[in-house]
Amino acid sequence: MNQCFGCNTCASADKPLEGYIKNLSVETSHHRVEGQSTKCGFGLQGVCCRLCSNGPCRITPKAPRGICGATADTIVARNFLRAVAAGSGCYIHVVENTALNVKKTALAKGEIKGEKALERLSQIFGLKGKDKYETALKVADAVLADLYKPEYEKMELVKKMAYAPRYEKWEELGILPGGAKGEVFHGVVKCSTNLNSDPADMLTDCLKLGISTGIYGLTLTNLLNDVLLGEPELRMAPVGLRVIDPDYINIMITGHQHTIFVDLQERLTSPEAVAKAKAAGAKGFKLVGCTCVGQDLQLRGAHYQEVFDGHAGNNYTSEAVLATGGIDAVLSEFNCTLPGIEPICDKMMIKQICLDSVAKKANAEMKPFIFEEREQQSEEIIDKIVAAYKERRGKVEMNLFPEHGNDKTLTGVSEVSLKAFLGGNWKPLIDLIVSGDIKGIVGVVGCSNLTAGGHDVLTVDLTKELISRDILVLTAGCSSGGIENCGLMEPEAAKLAGPKLRAVCEKLGIPPVLNFGPCLAIGRLEIVATELAEAIGIDIPQLPLALSAAQWLEEQALADGCFGLALGLPLHLGLPPFVTGSQLVTKVLTEDMKDLTGGQVIINGDGKESADILEKIIEEKRAGLHI
Amino acid sequence: MRRIIIDASKCDGCKNCSLACMQAHRKDTGTLYDLNLLDTDNESRNFIYKNRTGGYTPIFCRHCDQPECVMSCMSGALTKDPESGHVCYDEKKCGSCFMCVMNCPYGVLKPDDKTGMHIIKCDFCKDAGGEPSCVKACPKEAIYIEEV
Amino acid sequence: MKYVILGAGAAGITAARTLRKGRKEDSILIISTDDRVHSRCMLHKYLSHERDEKELNFVPEDFFCENNIEWMPGCTAVKLDTSSKELVLDNGQQISYDKLLIATGAESFIPPVGKLREASNVFGLRHLRDARAIDKKAEVSSKIAIIGSGLVGLDAACGLMEQGKQVTVIEMADQILPIQLDEKGAKEYQKRFENAGCRFYLGRKAQDTLCDEKGEVTRLLLDNGEEIPCDMVIVAAGVRPGTVGMDGEGIRIDRGIQVDKYLQTDVLGVYAAGDVTGLSGIWPNAMKQGETAALNMMGSEVAYTDTFAVKNTINFFGLASLCVGVIKPEEKDVVIAREDARNYKRILLRDGKVAGVLLQGDISHAGIWQYLIKNQIPIASIEKDIFELNFSDFYGIQENGEFVWKVS
Repeated sequence: MNQCFGCNTCASADKPLEGYIKNLSVETSHHRVEGQSTKCGFGLQGVCCRLCSNGPCRITPKAPRGICGATADTIVARNFLRAVAAGSGCYIHVVENTALNVKKTALAKGEIKGEKALERLSQIFGLKGKDKYETALKVADAVLADLYKPEYEKMELVKKMAYAPRYEKWEELGILPGGAKGEVFHGVVKCSTNLNSDPADMLTDCLKLGISTGIYGLTLTNLLNDVLLGEPELRMAPVGLRVIDPDYINIMITGHQHTIFVDLQERLTSPEAVAKAKAAGAKGFKLVGCTCVGQDLQLRGAHYQEVFDGHAGNNYTSEAVLATGGIDAVLSEFNCTLPGIEPICDKMMIKQICLDSVAKKANAEMKPFIFEEREQQSEEIIDKIVAAYKERRGKVEMNLFPEHGNDKTLTGVSEVSLKAFLGGNWKPLIDLIVSGDIKGIVGVVGCSNLTAGGHDVLTVDLTKELISRDILVLTAGCSSGGIENCGLMEPEAAKLAGPKLRAVCEKLGIPPVLNFGPCLAIGRLEIVATELAEAIGIDIPQLPLALSAAQWLEEQALADGCFGLALGLPLHLGLPPFVTGSQLVTKVLTEDMKDLTGGQVIINGDGKESADILEKIIEEKRAGLHI
Repeated sequence: MRRIIIDASKCDGCKNCSLACMQAHRKDTGTLYDLNLLDTDNESRNFIYKNRTGGYTPIFCRHCDQPECVMSCMSGALTKDPESGHVCYDEKKCGSCFMCVMNCPYGVLKPDDKTGMHIIKCDFCKDAGGEPSCVKACPKEAIYIEEV
Repeated sequence: MKYVILGAGAAGITAARTLRKGRKEDSILIISTDDRVHSRCMLHKYLSHERDEKELNFVPEDFFCENNIEWMPGCTAVKLDTSSKELVLDNGQQISYDKLLIATGAESFIPPVGKLREASNVFGLRHLRDARAIDKKAEVSSKIAIIGSGLVGLDAACGLMEQGKQVTVIEMADQILPIQLDEKGAKEYQKRFENAGCRFYLGRKAQDTLCDEKGEVTRLLLDNGEEIPCDMVIVAAGVRPGTVGMDGEGIRIDRGIQVDKYLQTDVLGVYAAGDVTGLSGIWPNAMKQGETAALNMMGSEVAYTDTFAVKNTINFFGLASLCVGVIKPEEKDVVIAREDARNYKRILLRDGKVAGVLLQGDISHAGIWQYLIKNQIPIASIEKDIFELNFSDFYGIQENGEFVWKVS
């Protein structure tokens, strides 16, 4: 027997990582998949209802209704709305904090790294102050004002942000959202005990929540982040466990709220902080990217070359990152901070600090970020991390994996940097689509899970299938973290593409999969879609473009997905979102939605089959455009 | 004899049968609400496997007509009751050799997780009224009793 | 009809039970050298004082009375006359039979090394009477040498260490449990035994003995010249079928008593089952043979087919192992091994089929492996990690609710 915790780990598309995790002496999520492999069928189908003390009620042939009389359709729709409302709440929390940080920075006349981004927002919103600070203040206030509106008052920026034909469609369908927080509130009320029982009405709410999530939680969070943190720039960067340099004091950051780290990441490279690190025996501090906030840092890595070591991996790589022994502290501020890291941190003496109580870890120190005290807080955090470094180094065994990942992943792709790369407009891309050199575009977005074939298995299979069919893939979310570690974002990956896409990539020196970064950047993909449609002069559903959240994981992904549906995009999911117990809800999502918004849900867990379906849809859309 | 008949096609993998089994054999008292799901003392004696076709396969002791486990027991702990037809297990007699684990052709038996000193074996809920709790708990009627 | 059974072990008792089930009225007599029914697989629990003599019984206390079976404990048949259908016992008594089952088991084999066969402090561990003698001698012994590190040798070691004895085990092979385990699996047990204070001499033979004036072995001389001081020696170097006195006319003895597939000897009406046949030396097979012989004694024609005997389970120091089939790979065999901090698993594939399995640690639900190996079930078409195979992959159910293996 050896020291491995267990050999029945799940598969990963990242084979070196799979081998590494198999050999770990600590338990990870990958070890736990096997023990959870028998799933409750009622839960899978979404027909278990726990809304009242009469429950849990489950739907069976002999018991087709819950005690209250709820049908499978009602139970499924209620459960689904609950999930979407909760997911929306998460992203709205992120945009709220981001806007507040912009506002406070503006009031404090702090650094605005992305002046162009601010200019763009001020133009979209039609707001201008006497200087950049006042403009930033007005922009942030406009966002906050919308978020705080009641549910019965429509948000004002939707019209300014949305593509006009879409806005009209939403108005026609009656799905323009009221205040984003109010919509979440309304949603959870609606699906509580013995209130709404109309599946169609609840699904309408899901679309509303999708729109508020997409425009505010995703798109605006990105743009506000750009204002404070600087805009993405194309560059090659190292990825994977190799980025961990044991000579430094390493901090793994997890979450989604990048603006919380503005002060800290500057301070970590200050001479005072470096002196502290040196006194402790290290060369300095490094941030190691993990989950979406790491992906966001990577996206803007051009501005943070000194402090940022690179992105190590996605949500289900985080336990492995810690198990290297090279990480001295975890700073977390939002989700994708797995509870499974807690025992690993204890064992490896890794200091955990939570900066936002919504993501308080059971054994972590709570230190809620307070903008006004940011400088002092940063100092305290630095001291605590230095102390942890001194305490643990030498005592904790290192199990580094410097061979993992690669050095040349193309990062920094955004709607702005990509357009600039193409020469300042979308025409070259549109020409390539028209000529068929690029058959279409699929955004492979969202999370990673461990059940759709294993860690990133479906995501990577599907991506390989798509590029082999000359379909360009854009990524955002933990899918990026998985795909990049598998090497598909290196320019050399062009050889995996179909002959036409390969030629395009090789000519431009780019990979066939473009990394937009965190899940928030799904909003950026949607800007790309909008701008393409605008440039061609069509509505979004007509584009030869689809979304796939192949390995969607969480409630936030479902809220994102509802935005995709509201935009009229085909949305592929590897696993059903706990709705298949209702024929009605399933039919609305997979079929009827086409006549409402133009969108549709496609559920398929096989990479090749899924690619076949998406390719067929793209071909139909091309035919519709006579190309 | 009475046997728990299995209709695997109806199983939804909810594991209610496993919970009911744990509840029926718990050493402390209480209701399903306070059953300690983390205590290995409360091991279920039935098992639901996810099968390769995506469905579920309930693996329950069959109390076989020709029980291989009884035919391998060197301590006399496992016996076939001539009246009920059930295969009974006397934990106190068990010599922990686990020959029965090896000999059950269907892989039903296992050593207990808590002590590793006895085996986990269906007793037809003899101490809980003799009516199997799993059967009562199945919402899909995927398991039911029949006289065979 | 009068059925006589020689031996009250796994085969004899199972035969008696089977006979009584089928023949309510006939007379059944068991004659056994053992004065108590006991499971020889649990003798170490007697040595460790975990169980007393009564608790070694593998049948209910009232077994004989309840089943109306006559039992003559402490008697040994010394002569068999097949023409007159009579047995002579060591007490001179003559017993006649209509049908006879020889289930006398086996005896420890003491190799002709030095004075091992003559010395008064050298024992095998096979019967309760052996265990009693060892236990008595242990009262005045502190250093115990055990020859052989098979299951019996290690059982003895375990039981005596429990009593605080200093135990040394001498094994010819380079590893302990050489028949059951591979080197890696054996090491796991060796570690545990050593932690408990046991010393091993592996790859060594006992070559000679040094005795004192009482005729007791005080030292074992190994083939490398090393001397092992001891107060008692336990020899666990295998067994020989207990055929003494059974060489009646027509009975063929070649190591064991030779039987046909119905477990009948060359003499009509005389059957043999269990270790005395040399067919296989493990408990489940002895029970099966006892049952089969009994059915045939009552006139059935049931062939003994379950001859697969390369199987065992081991449980020392809370570490369980299960080993079935081939352990030592040959050329072209594929070995798949996996290990973690609590488990070591190893599967040996031959021609695409499972030929051997070794599981150490968690042996839950491992019963399927014997079936897979014994019946040469093809598994190549099952797209699944081999270690994750379970009965759901072969699930079939009969009308009466019993499982049945479904093999495509």
